[in-house]
Amino acid sequence: MSRQLDNDNPTIFAPTTSTTSKRIQKGKASLWSQEALSDEEELGYSSGGGSGSGEEREDIDAEEVYDLLRSITDPEHPVSLEALRVVNPDDIHVAGNRVLVYLTPTIPHCSMSTLIGLSLRVRLLRALPPRYRVDIRIKSGTHQSEHAVNKQLNDKERVQAALENKHLLNVVEGCLSTADKRGSA
Amino acid sequence: MDVPRIVRTQISTSELNPPQELVEAVNNGTVGLLEVVKALGEYLTSTEDEVRLKGLTFLSNTLKAVNPTKINRQATQTLTNFYLSKLDDFDSLPPALGGLTVLSKLSTFDDDAAVEVYKGVVENVNMKAYVQATRHLVYVLFDSLLATHRNALKAMGASFINSYTKMVDGEKDPRNLMLLFSIDRVILLEFDVKDHIEDFFDITFCYFPITFRPPPNDPYGITADDLKLALRKCMASSPYFARMALPLFLEKFATLTGPSMKDLQLSIATCLPVYGADAVRERGAELWEGIKTEILYSSDTSIEAAALSALESLIRTLYPTESDAPSGLAQDIIKECLEILNEPDKTQAVAATKILAAIFRASPSAGKFALSQALPQLFRQFNSPSVPSHRSPILSTISSLLVAVQSVYTSPTSQRKQEEEKSLDPYHTGILDVLREGLRTEGLKSPAIKGCTACVQIPGFWERDDVENVVRGLDDVLVNDEDPEIRPEIIKSLTTISVHHPTIIESLTLPLLFHNLPDSAPPASDHLHREKYRSILSSLNELCVAPALFQTLVIRITTKLDLISTSSSSTSNELDETMDEAESEFDLRECNIAYSWDLLNTLQRVVDKKIKEKHQDLIRYFDQIVPRLFTLIVGASTSRDDKALFRDRRLIGIVARLVESLVWVLNTEKQSQWFSAIYQAFEKGDWTGVVHNKSQIGLGGSPLRNGAPSAEQDLMALYAATIQGLKGDAALPFSSPETFLGSKIHWTINVARDGWQVKWSLDLICAFVNKRENVLKESLETILDSVWSVDIQDTSKDLEIRRRGLSVYSYIIKALSFLRSPLSYTAVERVIDILSLSNLDPEFVPFAAAGFGILAQGKGNGHLTAKLLYAQKMWNLVLPKLIEGDKEATGTGRLVYLVAFASLLPLVPASLCLADLNTILPLILRSLSLPDPHQRVNAITTLTSILETASDSKEVDKAIHTHAEVMVDALLKSAVRQEGVPTSGKVRSIALSCLSLFPDMIRFETLHKHKSRVIKELGRTLDDPLRTVRKEAVECRAKWYRYGNAT
Repeated sequence: MSRQLDNDNPTIFAPTTSTTSKRIQKGKASLWSQEALSDEEELGYSSGGGSGSGEEREDIDAEEVYDLLRSITDPEHPVSLEALRVVNPDDIHVAGNRVLVYLTPTIPHCSMSTLIGLSLRVRLLRALPPRYRVDIRIKSGTHQSEHAVNKQLNDKERVQAALENKHLLNVVEGCLSTADKRGSA
Repeated sequence: MDVPRIVRTQISTSELNPPQELVEAVNNGTVGLLEVVKALGEYLTSTEDEVRLKGLTFLSNTLKAVNPTKINRQATQTLTNFYLSKLDDFDSLPPALGGLTVLSKLSTFDDDAAVEVYKGVVENVNMKAYVQATRHLVYVLFDSLLATHRNALKAMGASFINSYTKMVDGEKDPRNLMLLFSIDRVILLEFDVKDHIEDFFDITFCYFPITFRPPPNDPYGITADDLKLALRKCMASSPYFARMALPLFLEKFATLTGPSMKDLQLSIATCLPVYGADAVRERGAELWEGIKTEILYSSDTSIEAAALSALESLIRTLYPTESDAPSGLAQDIIKECLEILNEPDKTQAVAATKILAAIFRASPSAGKFALSQALPQLFRQFNSPSVPSHRSPILSTISSLLVAVQSVYTSPTSQRKQEEEKSLDPYHTGILDVLREGLRTEGLKSPAIKGCTACVQIPGFWERDDVENVVRGLDDVLVNDEDPEIRPEIIKSLTTISVHHPTIIESLTLPLLFHNLPDSAPPASDHLHREKYRSILSSLNELCVAPALFQTLVIRITTKLDLISTSSSSTSNELDETMDEAESEFDLRECNIAYSWDLLNTLQRVVDKKIKEKHQDLIRYFDQIVPRLFTLIVGASTSRDDKALFRDRRLIGIVARLVESLVWVLNTEKQSQWFSAIYQAFEKGDWTGVVHNKSQIGLGGSPLRNGAPSAEQDLMALYAATIQGLKGDAALPFSSPETFLGSKIHWTINVARDGWQVKWSLDLICAFVNKRENVLKESLETILDSVWSVDIQDTSKDLEIRRRGLSVYSYIIKALSFLRSPLSYTAVERVIDILSLSNLDPEFVPFAAAGFGILAQGKGNGHLTAKLLYAQKMWNLVLPKLIEGDKEATGTGRLVYLVAFASLLPLVPASLCLADLNTILPLILRSLSLPDPHQRVNAITTLTSILETASDSKEVDKAIHTHAEVMVDALLKSAVRQEGVPTSGKVRSIALSCLSLFPDMIRFETLHKHKSRVIKELGRTLDDPLRTVRKEAVECRAKWYRYGNAT
C-alpha cells in the first residue's frame, strides 16, 4: 500500500461474547425451549399456523442493529469493526422509528471515520425497513473534527453524492462484503 | 489352429493385441510359444521399420497376455537375447522394453540375465533421445529388475551405481519422477552408496524444493504433495547425505517462502533423525535460527506447525533419551524462550510457549529441563505480575505446557510415563495453587480449566484429594458463573474428569447440580431462575451420558417429576389468583408443565445419546423409568382433577417418545413381555404390569372402551409409542393380528376425539403394518378394501370420517411402500384415481391430494423397516400418473394434481428431479403459486437444491436461465407478506434464501432488468415481524445489491 496508514498497529480486542442474546424472549418463547416449540409446530397443533396472523411480532432492537454492523470490515485492516471496538452494542439506540449509532474511531485523527460512517449508513440503508430514520454520529470526544464528520454523515445530499462516486462505492462494497458473517468468525 | 494365418491377419489389420483364442491355445498347450515366434519370423526380421515394429509389438503383447508358466527357460533365454539385440534399434525400443519387463519377472529369468539386460540397456539406450513414455518403460524395467534380482545388481558394485545415476540424470517428468524416487530410495537403503553419495545427492536434491504445479484437468492425478512426499522419503534414505544436505537446507532458509518453506521445514523434520546426532550437532545452532524465524514471525499457521515439527525432530535427534544431558543447544533455546516470556502479553510469548511444549514432546531429558526452568519462573510471574493483566497469558502458558505434558504421557504411541519421569512432581503444589487461584479469578477461568483438565488426565500425577479439590472449584464456577463462554468449557472438563474419576463427579458435582434444581417451576416472570435451571439441565445432559452417572440422573429426575406432580395438585389454583395477570400471560400450571417438559427432554436426550453410543446399561433402566412415567401419566388421566399436570398433551407426547426409545433397545423377550402387559392394560383395563404404583391409578378400565373420557383416550399415545418401539420378531399377545389392526382402525376413524389422538393412532397403525406385514399379508388387501369402500367412498358419511379413513389408508400405503410391497402400488393408484373427481367431491378431493404428503414423510427415527430405493420406486410410479392426470384435467381440476405433486416432492432427493427436469421444472414453478404454504415450502426446497447443483450440467443451467424471471416473481410473492394470503415464517424465509442464490447462479444479463425492482420488493421483507425472516431478507437484499457489480 502506497499511502501511510493512519493507525498501523491498532489494538485488537477479543470478540464480544457470542451472538446468543440476553434478549428476554416474549410470549410462548419465554417459557418453552426452542425444541418444544418446534415439536409443537411439527405436530401441527399450534394455533396460529396457516394464516400467519398468529405470529408474534419481534421488534427490531439495538442488538439486531449491532448484528447488522459488527462484521463490516475496517477499510484499513482486514479486521471487523467489532474487533476494533469501532461499534459497540452499548452505543446503539433504537426507539420507535429512529436508530442512533455512535461510532468510536481507533485514534482521534482517523481520516477513515467518514468512510466507516458511510459504510455503516449504506448497510443500514439496505438492511433496515425504509420507515426508520438513521443517525450516525462520532462518539463525543473521540475525534478531533467530530462536528464536521457528523455533519457530513447525516447530510442526505452529501451521502447521495458520495455514493455516486464509483470508486468510493467500490470501497464501501468491499467493507460490506463481510457484513453477512454477523459475528461468527 | 492356423497360427501363421492368425498372425498374418492381426499384423495386416494392425490389431496388435493377440486374439483371445490364441492366448487360450498357448495357455492350454495346444499351441507352443515357439510356433507364434516362428509365424512372426518374417515380420520380426523385416527391414521395413514399420513392419518390424508391428511384429515386435505383437510378440511383446502376446508375452504379456499368456500364462507366464508357458514360457520355459529355453524360450526365456532366446527371447531375452532377441530383445537385447533390438535395444539399439530406435523404433523397436518400446516393445523390446515391454517384452523384457515381462521376462524379468519370470522364475526362469536368472541373475546373469538380469545383469546382462541391465548392462544392455545402459549401454545401448540414450535416454535423452526418447520421449517420456519410453523413458518410463526403461524405469519400469529397472524397477522390475531391482525387485526380482536385487542381489545380482548389488554384486555389480560401483559399476551399477555409476551407470544408474547417469541414466536417470536430468529426468523432469513428474510421472517418471514418482517412479524414480521410489527406485532411488530402494537403492539408497539397500546398496552400498557411501562412496557414490555425491552422485545420488545430485540426482535427488537437485529437485528440492519441488515447485511443480499440476496442469488443470491433469489425467495422471499427480499432485505436488505426492512428489514432495516421495522426494522427502528419498532425502531421508541415507545418513551419508547429511554432509551435503544440511548446508543446502541452511542455504534454503534464506530464500524460500510459502509452500516451499513449509516443504523445507517438513523435510528437515523427516531427515534429521536419519542423518544422526553427530552430523546434526555441528549445524544445530544454525538450523535452530532458521526454524525459529518461522515459528516466531510466520503469519502462516501451517508453516509454523511445520517449523515446530522440525524443531521437535531436531531436539529428538540431539537428546533422544533421558540420559542425554540437556546441555548446549537445548539450554540456549530454553533460555531464549524464557526471556521472551518476560513479556507474556506479546504475540511472541505464545510462540515461545509452543517452542517449550515442542521441546517437552521431543525429549525426556530436555523436556524435563525445560519444565524445571520455565515453571518456577512462570509461578513467580503469576504470583507477582508486573502488570495485573499479565496473569491471564501467564496462566495460559502454564496450561499449554501441562497440555503438552499430558499429550505425551497419555499418547498410546509414546513410551514415556509420568510415573517414571516424574517431571511434574517437584511442581505439584505450585501447579495446584495457580490453577485453583485461576478458577477463582475472573478472566483466568478459561486457561485454568484447560490446565485442570490436562492434569487430571496425566496418570499418576494427582491424588484423589487434588482432583476433588479442583472439581469443587469447577463446580463453583459452573453454578455461579453466568458467562456463556465458560460453561461449555467447564462441562467439557467435568465430562473428561468423569471418565477418570466418575465417583468424584457423582459425589460432588451431581448433588450440587440437583440441589440447584428447583422443586417446582419458577413463575413465568422469573426469567433468571428459568435460565438457571435450563443451564443446569443442559449441563446434566452432557455429563450424565456416562454409565456411572446415568443412574443418579434417572433417580433424581423421576423423583423431581413425582414432586412436581404432587405439589402442583395440592397447591391447585390458589396461587394463580395471587399472581398479577397483567404481568404474565401464563399461570403456574403452564410453568410447571414447561419445567416438567424440560426435565423429560433432558432424560430423552441423554437416552438418545446413549442409544447412539450403544451403551449396554440402558436396558437395566427400563423398569426404573417407564413404569414410573406411566404411573404419572395414567394417574393424571384417570384422576378427578381435570387440571392434573400430566394430563397435558405435550407431556404425554414427550413421555411417549421416551417410551418408544426405551422399548426399542429392549431384547425381543423383554419386548414381548412388555407388549403383553401393555395389551392387558389397554384392552382389558388391567394396569398391574405397566405402572409402578397401582394405588395412584384411579378407576381401572380400558382407555379404548366406548365412552371413555377424552383424557383417558389420550393414553393412546403411549400405546402407539410401545408399538413403534417393537421389533418385528417380538411375540404378539393375541392370536389374530387382523382383528387387532381392525379394532385400531375402527378406533381411529370412529372413536378418536380429535386430530391429536388420530395422529398417534395412525402412527400405531403404520408401525404395526410395517413390522407385521409378514403375518398380516393375506388380510391387508381385505382391510384396505373395506376401509376404502365403507369409509372413504361413501359420500353420505361425515366428511371428517372420510378424511380419517383416507388417512388410515395412506398410512398403510406408506408402511407398505417402505417394504416395496406391490399392494402399496395398487392401493395408491386408487387415491390417484379419485383426484379426477374434484368437481364432484370438492371438499374431499383436495384433502386427498394433500394426503400425498404422508407418503413423503420419510421413515422418521429409523424404527420402521425400509428397503433400499423404496422412495424412488414410489416416485417413479406416482409421478407419471400425476402428470398424465394433470394434462387431462381442465380448469381448477388441475389444481389437485399440482397439490399432490407438491406434497409428494420431499419424498425424493432433488437429484432425481434433475434427470427429468423439463417435465418437473414447470410443475415446480406452478406449485410456487399454490395457496398452502407447506406445499410452497416443498417446491421451494426442491428448487433451491436444483439451483445449487445447476452449475454441474449444461441442460439444467439452460433450463433455469429460461425460467429465471418467472421464478424470481413467484419467489418474491412467497417472500412478501400480503393481506389475505396464507403464509408462514418458514415459507418466507426459505423463499428469501432461495432468492439469494440467484445472483450467484444466474448470469446477470438474464435478470438485469429486474434488479432494481427485486431490491425494492425486498425492502418490504425487511419489515417482517419475524427476526429470522428479516435476517434472510437482509442478506438476500445485500446479494442483489452486489449482483452485476464487477468484483
